[in-house]
Amino acid sequence: MAVRSRARSTRLLVVALVAVSLVTITIDYREGDDGPLASMGNAALTVISPLQEVVSKVTHPIGNFFSTLFRLPSIRHERDVLRERVDALETQLSETRSDQARLADLEALFGLRESLGPKVQTMAAQVIANGVSNFEWTIEIDKGSSDGMARDMPVIASSGLVGHVVQVGANSSRVQLIIDPDSFVAGRLDVSRQTGLLSGEGNQDLQMSLVESTAEVSPDERVVTAGYRIRDVAESLYPPNVLIGTVSRVLEQDAATEKFVTVRPAVDFSSLSLVLVVLSRDGGE
Amino acid sequence: MRRVLLLSAVIVTALILQTTVFSEINLLGAKPELMYLLTICFAILEGPASGAITGFAGGMAQDFLLDAPKGITALTLTLLGYAVGTVRQFIVSPSPVTPVVLVAGGTFFGVLFYGVVSFLLGQLSTGWLYLLRVALLSAVYNAILTPLVYPLLRRAAEGSRSRRVAGW
Repeated sequence: MAVRSRARSTRLLVVALVAVSLVTITIDYREGDDGPLASMGNAALTVISPLQEVVSKVTHPIGNFFSTLFRLPSIRHERDVLRERVDALETQLSETRSDQARLADLEALFGLRESLGPKVQTMAAQVIANGVSNFEWTIEIDKGSSDGMARDMPVIASSGLVGHVVQVGANSSRVQLIIDPDSFVAGRLDVSRQTGLLSGEGNQDLQMSLVESTAEVSPDERVVTAGYRIRDVAESLYPPNVLIGTVSRVLEQDAATEKFVTVRPAVDFSSLSLVLVVLSRDGGE
Repeated sequence: MRRVLLLSAVIVTALILQTTVFSEINLLGAKPELMYLLTICFAILEGPASGAITGFAGGMAQDFLLDAPKGITALTLTLLGYAVGTVRQFIVSPSPVTPVVLVAGGTFFGVLFYGVVSFLLGQLSTGWLYLLRVALLSAVYNAILTPLVYPLLRRAAEGSRSRRVAGW
């Protein structure tokens, strides 16, 4: 009997609760978003949202951990994809950088070419190797006889005189630098207009001879290529007025008839990349 | 009085957990339905009357807190609590798996019922397939959580009962 009445009261309770639920649904349905129930809901939300915020702050890392755990395979895949992208972009970046450096070189060479005058025919070449031996100061460039190269052609970089072609292959040539001990260049002091002969000294500065002792030579004076002839000593291979370097040291020798002058080359031969080969020049001095 | 406090505390805790932690821990895009789990556990532990009351209170709380049509969850959970409590009375030899099975089945049909009522009220904005999927996934999710939640609730319920305070 007791069990039965308890079951009945339970049923009654459920019916009552269901009825309340249905009434709530109906009221909410009829009142829409402006009714009393909606505002009650908003009030409840206002009360509990600070709590939610606190808990959320505490548990957010935990939740993150678990959702990361579930998403691990896709994250791993994403990481691989991103790594590939980074590699590709880095390659692209370094390519862009070297392209930019090349562009700057070419622009400088273009300016040099303009300065040589319209009659001079030139060709740009890429330095592909430095000298092989410790006793020879040469570089190799990527243009050869098939490009119209020939022996004794002058080679110039944007910063100054480099040397001349000594050996021509089909697709590459060897250039003797002006610092090679076998190299002789006719030069002229820019201010005092004195001419002399510059000989290579290897890794040391160039030595300038045949400068008259009466000449006034000041340090840091520019030395450029002279015209074609220095009396009977040598005939210049190089076009005139190309920068060779600056005077680094002047040694007065009272007894001698000539001055001892050393010249620091303007070109940094260790970092050459693009040079200009002078193919032909019309006329001369 | 103790039981009212216990129930309130459990419901508020579940609500907050539902909206914070478990809104981030997805299982294939579905969240667990903690209020369903709670209702079913109480129904198993305390019988149909307690189940119905827990469901009603929890459902109302959830309805008012979430921006959902009010009353539908309360209706669903009241009936769910009563139904599970009644079914539980017919299980003669309960095994440790019984709560898990009841939770899984109860959640599945509860969510489906919720969907049907929403549909009848013109509030169901998703398709039937999605509803079925959510019902299944939340059932699985709740079943996974049962071994963690059920012992806790049982201890809490027994603790509050031992004082021999009058029932509902």
